[in-house]
Amino acid sequence: MIAGTTRAGIVAVSLITIVSAAAPVLGPYEPSRQFADLAFAPPMVPHVLDDEGRWQRPFVYPLHLVDRLEHRFAEDRSTRVALQWFTARRLITTPNAAGPWLLFGADALGRDVFSRVLHGARMSLGVALLATVLALGLGALAGAVAGFAGGAWDTVLMRVSDFLLVLPVIYVVLVLRAAMPLVLTTSQVFWIMTAVLGVAGWPFPAKGVRAVVAVERRKEYAEAAHALGAGRLRILLCHLLPASRSFLTVQGTLLLPAFILAEATLSYVGFGFAEPVPSWGVMLHEAADVATLADAPWLLAPAAAIVACVLSLHLLSARSVPSRGPGQTTSIESAT
Amino acid sequence: MFAIVVAVGAAVFLARRTSNRAPSSVAAPPPSAATPARGGELIASFRSEPPTHNRYVDRSATGDYLALLTHATLVRVNRTTDTLEPWLAESWTESPDHLSFTLHLRPGVVFSDGVPFTSADVVFSFRALYDPRVSSPLASDTLVNGKPLQIEAPDPSTVIVRLPSRFAPGLRLVDGVPILPRHRLELALAQGTFNDAWSATTPLTEIAGLGPFILVEHVSGERLVLARNPHYWRKDQAGTSLPYLDKLTIVVASQASEALKLQAGEIDVMANADIRPDDYAAYKRAADQGRVRLIDGGFALDPSLLWFNLSTAHAADPALRLFHQKAFRQAVSCTVDRQAIANTAYLGAAIPIYGPVTPANRTWFGDVRPACEHDPSRARELFRDAGLTDRNGDGMLEDSAGKPARFSILTQGENIRSRVAAMIQEQLRQAGIAVDIVPMDPGGLLQRFTRGNYEAIYYGIQSSATDPALSAGFWLSSGDYHFWNPEQKSPATDWERRIDELMRRVAEPSDLEERRRVFTEVQRIFVDELPAIYLVTPKVTIAVSTRVLNPQPAPQIPQLLWNADSLAVTPARH
Amino acid sequence: MTTGFRRYLLRRLGFAVLLVFVVSSASLLLARLAPSDDAFAADRAVIAAERHRLGFDKPLAAQYAEWLTRSVRFDFGESLRFRRPVAALIRERAGRTALLGVTALMLATIVGIPLGVFTGSRSSGPVPSVVHSASVVVLSIPSLVMSLVLLLFAARTGWFPAGGLPSIPADAGIVGSIGAIARYLFLPAVALALPMAAALERLQSRAIQEALADPCILAALARGVPRPRIVWRHAFRLALKTVLAIYGIMIGTALSGSFVVEIVMSWHGLGDLMYQALQARDLYLVAGCAAAGSCGLALGILTSDLALAAADPRVEELG
Repeated sequence: MIAGTTRAGIVAVSLITIVSAAAPVLGPYEPSRQFADLAFAPPMVPHVLDDEGRWQRPFVYPLHLVDRLEHRFAEDRSTRVALQWFTARRLITTPNAAGPWLLFGADALGRDVFSRVLHGARMSLGVALLATVLALGLGALAGAVAGFAGGAWDTVLMRVSDFLLVLPVIYVVLVLRAAMPLVLTTSQVFWIMTAVLGVAGWPFPAKGVRAVVAVERRKEYAEAAHALGAGRLRILLCHLLPASRSFLTVQGTLLLPAFILAEATLSYVGFGFAEPVPSWGVMLHEAADVATLADAPWLLAPAAAIVACVLSLHLLSARSVPSRGPGQTTSIESAT
Repeated sequence: MFAIVVAVGAAVFLARRTSNRAPSSVAAPPPSAATPARGGELIASFRSEPPTHNRYVDRSATGDYLALLTHATLVRVNRTTDTLEPWLAESWTESPDHLSFTLHLRPGVVFSDGVPFTSADVVFSFRALYDPRVSSPLASDTLVNGKPLQIEAPDPSTVIVRLPSRFAPGLRLVDGVPILPRHRLELALAQGTFNDAWSATTPLTEIAGLGPFILVEHVSGERLVLARNPHYWRKDQAGTSLPYLDKLTIVVASQASEALKLQAGEIDVMANADIRPDDYAAYKRAADQGRVRLIDGGFALDPSLLWFNLSTAHAADPALRLFHQKAFRQAVSCTVDRQAIANTAYLGAAIPIYGPVTPANRTWFGDVRPACEHDPSRARELFRDAGLTDRNGDGMLEDSAGKPARFSILTQGENIRSRVAAMIQEQLRQAGIAVDIVPMDPGGLLQRFTRGNYEAIYYGIQSSATDPALSAGFWLSSGDYHFWNPEQKSPATDWERRIDELMRRVAEPSDLEERRRVFTEVQRIFVDELPAIYLVTPKVTIAVSTRVLNPQPAPQIPQLLWNADSLAVTPARH
Repeated sequence: MTTGFRRYLLRRLGFAVLLVFVVSSASLLLARLAPSDDAFAADRAVIAAERHRLGFDKPLAAQYAEWLTRSVRFDFGESLRFRRPVAALIRERAGRTALLGVTALMLATIVGIPLGVFTGSRSSGPVPSVVHSASVVVLSIPSLVMSLVLLLFAARTGWFPAGGLPSIPADAGIVGSIGAIARYLFLPAVALALPMAAALERLQSRAIQEALADPCILAALARGVPRPRIVWRHAFRLALKTVLAIYGIMIGTALSGSFVVEIVMSWHGLGDLMYQALQARDLYLVAGCAAAGSCGLALGILTSDLALAAADPRVEELG
């Protein structure tokens, strides 16, 4: 039986996947479209009741610029811009001539933050998820081998991982970038970033998995499996690695947001998604400025999106533990 | 549990809704008209600290600011009027052949340690400046056609400056050379240890200068404390000895941190006193509460520029062939909507410009406009002249071989420049040209520039000289920051040859009006040929605490600390 | 201490030294290869002369050999940007970073570990869920945003200074000095500690959950051992292994400095120095900072490995 939280997690993750994939339809506008005179416009909430209290189809009041430098806007309550459904191949949008609907406000160039967050999900989440899987995979492999075989394998693998932890990866990236052609395509950037982040990230899970495997291999069920004739590889993959599953899932939820943000750092040294492709990491970096935090906090919408994604992953990976006392069947079950 | 999460999320979202901010009703107090009185302490901020106290070997910007506070020069360019004024030299005469200047030094001037100042100190300073063992970065700014100035001292109160060839800026060349005390540094120069003299670890009592302040404390990474120089020679018009301030403390703070501190009243002035358009709203609030004053500082002197790779070494590269056509460059300039860039990327705090000289340079600004200012149909014609039309109806332009028009712009990764680049990309896309923006850190960007390994770059550098003869590196085809085609052995195009000739005439000492006329012609050629496209120059707004009584903003950094000896403060701190 | 353990310790120490050496060499090499930004500086010839004076343009092998021989004498060369010996710079900055890092670690441990044990041993109820969600939220917020929010908080309330190193008034006594340092230290330490505390809480929580499923816990319950004792004495020891593994890395990163927090909060420590060295392509300073950082990290990892070996002897056999 799937636990309640895991079910909620599956729903959440599916929702996020659908939303990211369907961004061109769900986002009201092109992510690169710059609305003139609406830089730093605040979020516009749709209404269903107009000023006289009558029910209307969902609409927004357009914003007009009052002071450009102080980015002050005023709602024009005399006009109603109705939200159009299923027009121009989008779920919701507004007519071109009327004002835009900025659910999460606009950024420094007057672009719709909501559309950018939706479109950015594909790139940022894609890179971060793949890199996490890569880092966890490499780390689990390295940690398992180190913990299981011990001796020279352990020494070499752990020292290599220490080296990677301490090395200023940014220099490697700089040198790499200098050697590459000037313009990189989006897919080139995608795969290079995934590779760099995955390789930079595997030492973290490796250490934990090593510790787990080292302890588990001495346990009775592992010895029992060995006595029953199971090969070393089978013991490793089927019995010992699963013991580190919960550690790996927690580690994964720690790595995912870190990778999304590392993507922004990489973009400053030239390994980023070039304009106009939006990415959460870069959007957050542009927003991470004292003036913006105080006066335009809606630019932190990607942070909320990251929180939502990480929370969903947590829900998905949560396993139910019986509330009364420890369960006794777990380790015995995994011995066969 | 999920319900809790949703509730928290909703609360956060609602908390983030902002309403329109109405300005506070408290008006800022009017600038004080009181005569400045002696006394008081000023707290300033630098974004980094000078690595050494020896100005001659220091390349950092903050070293320059510190030298403005602790040293003096022979003559000074008044940054608000852009005229030369007597400083350590109280008067001077120019020889009829314009090759030498005789300066009469102010009598009775002593260093901060009490030792009298004479012409021997001037001779020593220039000897150190040009010494190859020192290889001072300041030296190159004082050369004329690559040759140094000759300094002679016929008597203790007279100095003769000889130029190797006629050069119109004349004594402006020595505006950036602080005069160092011979009695403190002569030995080090003789022994070859000049570069290590006055380093960050030298006891501060060994340092002496002719400036308004002396450095009394330097806590590495944290702050510098300066006290009034009791022997400072300058007096104000009422005869009061300058500087007004008793003490000047400089804290080292990051850009975010210094803005917050100024708004909170923890510091009074920033070395980089101008504020970004994004910060304006926060400063306005502080101004409405009476803590901060916002001063209009005019426009910036050095705007960023978009230049094309026109270097001779890469002229055969087919990817760059398009750039060599004047019609293409003019078309790009014509497509760009400068006012929209000013309105959006700079929040309206900028004006369109078309050439390297901005209205901030009052003496030399020529206000030359190109033939076409944001005219999409004219731009289409110009693109057609360059061989680009929409041959297949997809909305993008292709050349005669059917290859779509596409080029890359290299720019800095963060910063307002990347915003402007994104706008250029969008505007050119609507005109049918595809542009790739490649963000990079300055190191990578400049490496590609030096190797010529780029197509177009959007970047800029700061230079504080207003007289164009002092910017020969930019204007002359042989110059090293003639960005689009630096260090040419001989001019690659006719128009660059013409500009070289005209700039030679601008460097000739003659009537200012004549020089300006010739230079306006240079600007006209530039704006027609457009090897680089200038977009906007930002408006400069300077923020300073209301404690500071008589700020005199200059266009160059440090906008307010350049004449710190005349700054005064009210006694109370907010 | 058994001979086996002593040999293990010596071997790890040896590897730590090797690690520091390899990392700083690699950093030196990489910094040399990375593109530099002097093209537009005031005078290219002068900078070239300066780099020549410091030996930046010698053939790689010669430069490396010279650097090696000097490092053995703890002379790490001179910084191009600061014009001071690298060793002196690092010594100054490392102390400040260490103060910040240790404070942040203590805060994170005091908050994170007990919270993790608490949420791990209770699987239902509103409080564990709230703590769980709070940890996830904290982990998802970038440290840049966190530091800026704290900076804003300081500026708005005025309870803490808006960044900067502690400035102790000349006439303050011991208590006054400590108070002044605490005021300046608090917010940067919180900025550094919050994500660490959240990570520790999550890891500890999972580890305790796993440990509580072990049969020996059931046996202890059957023996009549009270629940708190089970959780804190028995399960906690079992749960140590994964947390200790990560804790070592945390010690290491705290000691080598987080440049984001240091730069935003103007806490001029090792992280800030490394960042400036990177920007200026200051070769010897980069190598020196990498060496210092790797020392810190090696120390942290070694500590955690030793603690792990001490806590769970089964790990020690790995060597």
